[in-house]
Amino acid sequence: MKTRKITPYLLVAPYILHFVIFVAFPVIFSIVLTFHKWNIISPMKFSGLDNYIRLFNDTLFLKSIMNTFVFLIIHIPLQIFVALILAEILNQKIFMRGFFRAAFFMPVVVSGVVVTMLWQQMFAFDTGLLNRVLTTIGLDKVGWLVDPDIAMSSIAVMATWKNVGLYVILFLVGLQTVPPHYYEAADLEGANRFQKFFYITLPMIKPTMFMVIILSTIGGFSLFIEPYIMTGGGPLNSTISAVLYIYKQGFFYYHMGYASTLGLFFALIILIVIVIQKKFIEREK
Amino acid sequence: MHIVKINIFIGILFYIFIGCSSSNEKKEYELLYWSSNNSQEIEFAKIVISQWNEMHPEAKVQYQPVPEGQSSEEIILAAVVGETTPDVYSNMWQGDVEIYAESGSLVAFDTLDGFNEFIYDRCDTSVMIENTSLDNHIYQIPWKINPILMIYNKNHIKNLGLDHAPSTYDEFFDAAEKFKKDKDGDGYIDQWFGYSEVLVTWWQRFFDFYPLYLAASSGQPLIKNNKADFDNEYAVNVFKFLRELYKQKYFPQERLATREDPFLSGTIVTRFTGPWEISHAEKYKPDGFEYGFQHIPVPANSKGPIYTYGDPKNIVIFNTCKKPNLAFQFAKFLTSKKNDFQLLKLTSQYPRRKDLLTDSLFVKYFEKNPELRVFAEQAKYVRGTDASSVLKEVFDIISQEYEACVIYGTKTPEEAIKDAAFAVNLLNL
Repeated sequence: MKTRKITPYLLVAPYILHFVIFVAFPVIFSIVLTFHKWNIISPMKFSGLDNYIRLFNDTLFLKSIMNTFVFLIIHIPLQIFVALILAEILNQKIFMRGFFRAAFFMPVVVSGVVVTMLWQQMFAFDTGLLNRVLTTIGLDKVGWLVDPDIAMSSIAVMATWKNVGLYVILFLVGLQTVPPHYYEAADLEGANRFQKFFYITLPMIKPTMFMVIILSTIGGFSLFIEPYIMTGGGPLNSTISAVLYIYKQGFFYYHMGYASTLGLFFALIILIVIVIQKKFIEREK
Repeated sequence: MHIVKINIFIGILFYIFIGCSSSNEKKEYELLYWSSNNSQEIEFAKIVISQWNEMHPEAKVQYQPVPEGQSSEEIILAAVVGETTPDVYSNMWQGDVEIYAESGSLVAFDTLDGFNEFIYDRCDTSVMIENTSLDNHIYQIPWKINPILMIYNKNHIKNLGLDHAPSTYDEFFDAAEKFKKDKDGDGYIDQWFGYSEVLVTWWQRFFDFYPLYLAASSGQPLIKNNKADFDNEYAVNVFKFLRELYKQKYFPQERLATREDPFLSGTIVTRFTGPWEISHAEKYKPDGFEYGFQHIPVPANSKGPIYTYGDPKNIVIFNTCKKPNLAFQFAKFLTSKKNDFQLLKLTSQYPRRKDLLTDSLFVKYFEKNPELRVFAEQAKYVRGTDASSVLKEVFDIISQEYEACVIYGTKTPEEAIKDAAFAVNLLNL
């Protein structure tokens, strides 16, 4: 009888332990840190609301958040558009379909650092492949990573190339759940290809679309490796993302209290965006 | 029965854990020494340790290179936090010392017997002023430096009709104008006079702005009495010089890091770099390629002496050391004339000692290796970094202004330097 009472606790103990050590404690500790100054090696000093006051006067952090939203605004529609088109093509009975499905997924499993370095070479102003193509066809070179107005778009294009395979697979799954007789009925009614796509396919894959939007948003908010390696946040801070800025505060300058404050504030922003998206999705359903 | 099995399993895990922990405990206290983990310094350290252990069987030193990580700075930070620091560490970047001194992680050398006699025998007063912390204690022994100079392609300089590499800003501009070229005729310059990384990463400024500032100002500090001290004509002139290099396309505005070495391939003529470039150049230079080193360019009216950044790495004792006096004796041994000479020979890094150009041991070596002498001559005129626990932030601020002014020209040099100094003064220095 006693054994029966203890057993359930023992069974959940590993998870509870993991949750307390790796989730609950860090979250609570980081909230506590927001009221302190701490550089890891010296004892923590209570600083009241100093970190919050600094946050609201930190124009670079504001810029990093704006940059992140710029990235999301470019990246999400581009990702969905490209993924949907590729999925639609790969859903047809085309030659070497299996090969192409695997090929488009391959960048997803390649290390982000490797992909970033590869694109860094492609984007190089003088020797990069993209500019060589442009000059060959008589166009001007583009400062893909050195022009502050273009750099974030370049990163968004690269991130799309890296991740699109995953969303192609998701859309493919969605497309294959559309009952074929819907299309047959549309054919009988004389619907053309575009009408079928907009009036049957799109409404039917709405749940997949919502999932892709949420996943892209979460992924986009965590933008880090690409600007960290390719641009270091430049030029003129045009590619510094919120996560990169928080990382710099925490692990370049060891401003752990301030980095925690930024992290907490940024988590709140993500929460607000996700809640808005959720409301929108529920309304659509 | 099931519970009993789980308990036995947990018990086994517990004993394995305890067993592992106790196996690491030292039976007798021995000093632990960490060096840099490059192969040449490992070789040097092994020789020194074997000599020490032979001479001091009663006070042996254990040696290990600093464990592998993204950077040795990160490893040291992790060790300090985890209280697993060695007793003696010999690759401490001077700019990091203040933050550890402030946290009480280091032993103050000036509290140990015989330190003053030892250090002033080794270094000039100016070096020791630079290495004194804000609390007026000395937590580091200046050990080695790698002065940043200008490497240049002798063949290109000769082809430009010059009898020496440019040494002033004006000479630099003239030579750069002659050399820059659009080789493939696509309307874009693809042959530049020099190159510096355009990344805003704070330490990149050790290879452009900072040595140029030290050269122009004859070694003035960036920070003095906890305030920015660089809002002056020297810094403004350096920004003006650098701005001109990018504006006139004498330097490329893009990163060249992803292609073949632009210096050895002849795409650029000059670069600001340290003595480590010698072994790299010797290994990869094409046939007939000749290079030389010269001091950092200065304004025409500069009276000198021409300083540069020395990238100093120093010796520290951590507060986890139970025998600081013994650790100091070991540090003295490590920095003895014989071992400093060994360091120079094996690693081509320069001991930071005042008799580098006067002691016969070193003089003879430089006679045999004249290509190294230029760095030894510069060694007298190097600066490290100023004592500040927010040094990285200071360089980051300068770097942001550097990018805005020098690379993109969105600010004037005067505005950029003024804004940088203002921001630095807000760092609660």
